[in-house]
Amino acid sequence: MSESIKLLIVDDEVKFLDSIAQRLEMRGFDVTKAINGNEAIDATKQKQYDIALLDLKMPGMDGKEVLEILKKDHKYIEVIILTGHGSLESAVECTKLGAFGYLPKPYELDKLLETLKDAYETRMMKKFEQDSERIEKLMKIATGSSPLAILREMRELDDDEK
Amino acid sequence: MPKEKSQGETHKNLLLEKHYKDLKRKHIIRLSLMYLLPLIILIVYFQFQYSNMLNDSKTMHLQSIAENQANLLDLFLKERVVNLINLIDNPNFDIPPDNSTLQDYLELLKTDSKAFTDIDFFNFRGMEIAYAGPIKRKTYNDYSNEIWFIDLKKSDQRYIITDVYLGFRQEPHFTIAVKRYVGDSVVVLRATLGPKNIYKYMTSIEGLSDVYVSLVNVKGDYQLVSNKLGRLLDKSPILPPREKKIGTGEKYIKNSEVKYAYSWLNEVDWVVIVRDSWHDNTGFFFGMDVNILIVSFLIVGILVLIIFARAKKMALMEREKEIVRSQLEHASKLASVGELAAGIAHEINNPLAIITSEIGLIKDKMNPEFGFNGKSCDGIEDHLENMREAAYRCRDITRKLLSFVRVDDVLMKEYNINEILDDLIDGFFEREFAVSNIEIVKDYDPKMPMIITDSNQLRQVILNLVNNAQDAITPPGRITIATRTENHFIKIDISDTGKGIKEDEISKLFLPFFTTKETGKGTGLGLSVSYSIMKNFGGGIDVESIPGKGSTFTVSLPINK
Repeated sequence: MSESIKLLIVDDEVKFLDSIAQRLEMRGFDVTKAINGNEAIDATKQKQYDIALLDLKMPGMDGKEVLEILKKDHKYIEVIILTGHGSLESAVECTKLGAFGYLPKPYELDKLLETLKDAYETRMMKKFEQDSERIEKLMKIATGSSPLAILREMRELDDDEK
Repeated sequence: MPKEKSQGETHKNLLLEKHYKDLKRKHIIRLSLMYLLPLIILIVYFQFQYSNMLNDSKTMHLQSIAENQANLLDLFLKERVVNLINLIDNPNFDIPPDNSTLQDYLELLKTDSKAFTDIDFFNFRGMEIAYAGPIKRKTYNDYSNEIWFIDLKKSDQRYIITDVYLGFRQEPHFTIAVKRYVGDSVVVLRATLGPKNIYKYMTSIEGLSDVYVSLVNVKGDYQLVSNKLGRLLDKSPILPPREKKIGTGEKYIKNSEVKYAYSWLNEVDWVVIVRDSWHDNTGFFFGMDVNILIVSFLIVGILVLIIFARAKKMALMEREKEIVRSQLEHASKLASVGELAAGIAHEINNPLAIITSEIGLIKDKMNPEFGFNGKSCDGIEDHLENMREAAYRCRDITRKLLSFVRVDDVLMKEYNINEILDDLIDGFFEREFAVSNIEIVKDYDPKMPMIITDSNQLRQVILNLVNNAQDAITPPGRITIATRTENHFIKIDISDTGKGIKEDEISKLFLPFFTTKETGKGTGLGLSVSYSIMKNFGGGIDVESIPGKGSTFTVSLPINK
């Protein structure tokens, strides 16, 4: 990969967080660590992430809440749930809320890497689609009416994409 | 350890055996009182009524015999009197007759009745003029001073009957004397009667009816009596009142109560007394038939067998119930732990994840692809230390779980309630509540007295209540655990800020298998088992709740030091 995948890992268990972060960094991921929901959301405001690895049971904001917020505010981030508290119901719920994957703790590295890869590909596809859309819209605007209208419409486009 | 357990178990089994023997005995007593006692009372009552009835009928029977006999005798006497009067009134009657004429008259009388044995004729002065009969008489006597003669002369009636005496051949005789007015004076004809037939007839009644018949005069002398009872002219122990013509009575004769009936004669002042034979028992057991006895014993015997069988069965049932109850308790305990297991699983998975991750990291670091220099793994001590810590965390968690699930005998020891609670909360719930955003507040009374209780069972109850509190809350929320004393009881309040309990559900709360959780999520056993545990301790569980605001469960334990 030319660019490192920007990965946000959210888990309240510090030792675990360090461990998994190190391993993924060694494999070329650009890892940011967050130990609770609030930190995670703050981080996404600073930088655009490709994928987030999210624990469910955390003090303060629950993992599902974080999932909801992430999917609402940042449509392009793919969230993979990584939890020791797995159940079928929980998996279904999270999927409905927009999670890309649902993995158990302890994790198998190979499976994790595979899921990350798939998530990234999906992310790229969406990004490509999004870029195509944007180009189409730009082209439409460009062939539009007055310069002022063009400016206005471009601003609207930006706002939409936020 | 196993050896201790088997000794403990044998001791426990012995106690249980004794307990069930006691239970069986209690059931026997209870069932006997319920079934046997009424039956026995009924039997006694009916026996009493029956013997009364028999007594009454016996009395009536005696009375009817007495009346019959009296009537019979009256009739006989009347007939004899009529015989004599007819004779003396006959116009052909010679006055005075001589012996041979009298003899003819005697023969005449004998055709009327064989009872006539002899006759005398007396003039108005009471001198015996003539005699006819079996005795060879030399002299004739003066009867003017005889009471019967005097009475007869004075009497309005034309006849008089004397009492019985031992006469000719030492046999019982009595006399009937009739008078006839001849001009101004009076003549008397007297006949002696020895009524063998009548006597025979009267005494034969005795054999037929199991009675004794006797004839007694107004002074109480036997006129007629059977040999078994007494001798002629002896005093009868029974003398009925003259005023009453017919009646019954009881008299103690030789230590037994004798029932009798009597009937006074019309013709003479004699009374017929009819009484029970000696060998009748009167009183309570009167009429006790052997057959009835056998049947009664049979019935009572069967009932006793049934009672024993039932008591045994009931004791057995209670024993089984107890076994099931303790199984239920254990099942509920497991269910409680099961509910907790979900949270516990997360707890164990985390340290396991750390361990596996660190292992993976060490392997990565020793992988040439990732820059391993072939000499040593950088920072391996830290990784190993992390793994060790995590492993110990797992051990602690499983140990906690197992300590709870172990089947312990009830062990009553002295404890401080606050310590038990702390141990439980810090041990089980600390992390749980940390991640689920539920605040735990402890509000202990520092001056809690020590009490004697079984910590395992108590922990099971508290665990169950705190689990419920947790389930009721949608985070954020708070669970408050308070301890206090009230009226010789220790109270533990477990309050939550959860969704509360509806009014119609509160009454069903402690019923087994009642749950407000979705299917598969709750067994409904927790509260009912907790409740029965607390009841066994002599305490209880109370609940107050405001739907939407929260609930408070209060566990009470008696202070038993």
